[in-house]
Amino acid sequence: MPPATASPATANPVTASPVTAIDVREVTKLFGSPADEVRALDGVSLAIRENEFFTLLGPSGCGKTTLLRLIAGFEQPTSGAIDLYGDPLTGLPPFRRPVNTVFQSYALFPHMTVADNVRFGLEMQGWSKADMDDRVERMLALVQLERHGGRKPAQLSGGQQQRVALARALANQPKVLLLDEPLSALDLKLRKEMQIELKRLQTETGITFIFVTHDQEEALTMSDRLAVMHDGEVLQVGRPEELYEHPTRRFVADFIGETNFLEATLADSAADGARFRLDTGAELQAARAHGHAVGSRVTLAVRPERVALQAPDDGAGLPGAIDRVVYFGTDTSYHVSLQGLDAAMLVRVQNRTGAARQFHEGDPVRLQVPPEAVQVLRD
Amino acid sequence: MAAADASEGLLARPAVRRALLIGPALAIIGAFMLLPLGLMAYVSLLERGLHGGVEWHSFTPEAYVKFLFERDLMGNLEVNTDYLQIFGRSFLLAGTTVLLALLVGFPTALYMALQDNPRYRNLLVFMVTVPFWTNLLVRNYAWIILLRNNGLIDNGLAALGLNPGPLDLLYTNFSIWVGLTYSFLPFMVLPIYASLEKLDLRLVEAAFDLGADRRRALQRIVIPLALPGIVAGCILVFVPCLGAYVTPELLGGSKSLMIGNLIQNQFGAARNWPFGAALAFALLALVLLAMTIYALRFRRAPAGAV
Repeated sequence: MPPATASPATANPVTASPVTAIDVREVTKLFGSPADEVRALDGVSLAIRENEFFTLLGPSGCGKTTLLRLIAGFEQPTSGAIDLYGDPLTGLPPFRRPVNTVFQSYALFPHMTVADNVRFGLEMQGWSKADMDDRVERMLALVQLERHGGRKPAQLSGGQQQRVALARALANQPKVLLLDEPLSALDLKLRKEMQIELKRLQTETGITFIFVTHDQEEALTMSDRLAVMHDGEVLQVGRPEELYEHPTRRFVADFIGETNFLEATLADSAADGARFRLDTGAELQAARAHGHAVGSRVTLAVRPERVALQAPDDGAGLPGAIDRVVYFGTDTSYHVSLQGLDAAMLVRVQNRTGAARQFHEGDPVRLQVPPEAVQVLRD
Repeated sequence: MAAADASEGLLARPAVRRALLIGPALAIIGAFMLLPLGLMAYVSLLERGLHGGVEWHSFTPEAYVKFLFERDLMGNLEVNTDYLQIFGRSFLLAGTTVLLALLVGFPTALYMALQDNPRYRNLLVFMVTVPFWTNLLVRNYAWIILLRNNGLIDNGLAALGLNPGPLDLLYTNFSIWVGLTYSFLPFMVLPIYASLEKLDLRLVEAAFDLGADRRRALQRIVIPLALPGIVAGCILVFVPCLGAYVTPELLGGSKSLMIGNLIQNQFGAARNWPFGAALAFALLALVLLAMTIYALRFRRAPAGAV
């Protein structure tokens, strides 16, 4: 493992090597005429580490694909810089960058065979014929398409085309592989298979992957770390569990998984926790106050599966009544209207074998919210 | 009731519907192409009339013989390559025109296809077709005014202080190339544009991404995928060029006779209709031969590029 050169603040010795592969600094990208300009990226900074499976997650139009295209070199930043292992990429045309892209549409060359598609990048780099043959064979084996080398892309299924696109992009041994929503055209079952396949390829090749998706589940299951983007900005960067358990922004909490939002006032804050008061006067405990001043209005985020449903006579907790019960197989969702509040909370309870359902529509309940389940948002 | 059912039943039969749909097209092709062609074939086998026209009931292969042989005073046949030479020259001139039109037309079409603004793109397509609004004769006379000695080019160069003297541009192969290329350029630009416009630019990005510079992306991706359009453009320029007679007549003077002029002469001044018809058939045969070779060569058009 190479020696750590990145700053201690970004180093994470557990999940990835701390060497920064792609360093994005204060990148802004404007499109359109000055009169009618669109700010696709607004001062984005990111450090993507070597050997990392890094995901850019966000809804369409959030700027994630623009950022990928800037790294690939198809667009130039309006301001800011992008470095690859300390060397500036800015200004280099795409064909001089040691990064390769797997396109959303695959962009396989329709007039070439599968093998010729994979061979293309090697030819451009001037490999010898024997080396190319060898490499093409190895790449096709890597994506399990050994026997399809002579076919045209149009003769392959969507999943197979996807694997050809991967083999083609990996053949050049890029320092970084960029993947632009590569799984979005596949059906669910195939998508799950390819998710596993992608993880395997990343581990086997040891190449840094930058993966763009709008699918939060895909992002959570595949990434070492991910960045949530919205309106051209990076809102939060972290490991999947960090982003799920401790979202700091309303958009992040909402975009990843399901969340209940509660408006509250910070009553008091201490080292071991903080107390928040809802408009009904009921109080909630949270592990941290995140620097909000006492008396300020804040938004609390609570995951539905962290809330426990209890009988109304069970003492502490928020009183309410069950509006609706939705059965999901693995679990059951309860929509609970809170007493004295114009708000409903979603509670998710796992279904256990043999256990009869305890609560029904119309039942009064109490919601037990443990302090570690309450996240205080910055906005 | 039963009659209505029967007619509906008849119309519902796929074979009947197909015949009805294809009928008008077949009728037009039959009346305006096959019939005249048959007539031409018939005429080419007749004896020429003494004062023009033909003897309608007297058959002879004389017209085809005349194409390759000449009768000397004794009535013996001698090989005569004059007409073959005219054919050869026409093919060469048409081939050169195709090359020139391709050299000018491909970059033009590429430029047009790469424009982001669809309104500007449509404006460019429109501008390519503008020359068609003026009669071919007028356009050729315009070239005469430009190219002739003391014409616009000569005088323009003189006005710029360059005085090369009369350039003798008119009535040369050069002036024919210029005229033909100019006349048929839209037939090259439009099909190439059509195939380039359909080209997925992400494929070009993918080529860049894999390390291809502009030249190699053009060579390996753009040109192969635009090949159907390029082939169509070449055929559309080559075939009418072979039979062109206005441009060679006006811009080439009478120095270089081309097939078109030769055929026209037979129906006009030479009053040899059978020979004119035979020449037209010889041309048709050669064009079909050339197209067949072309089709065989490019039979396997790139998959997905059509």
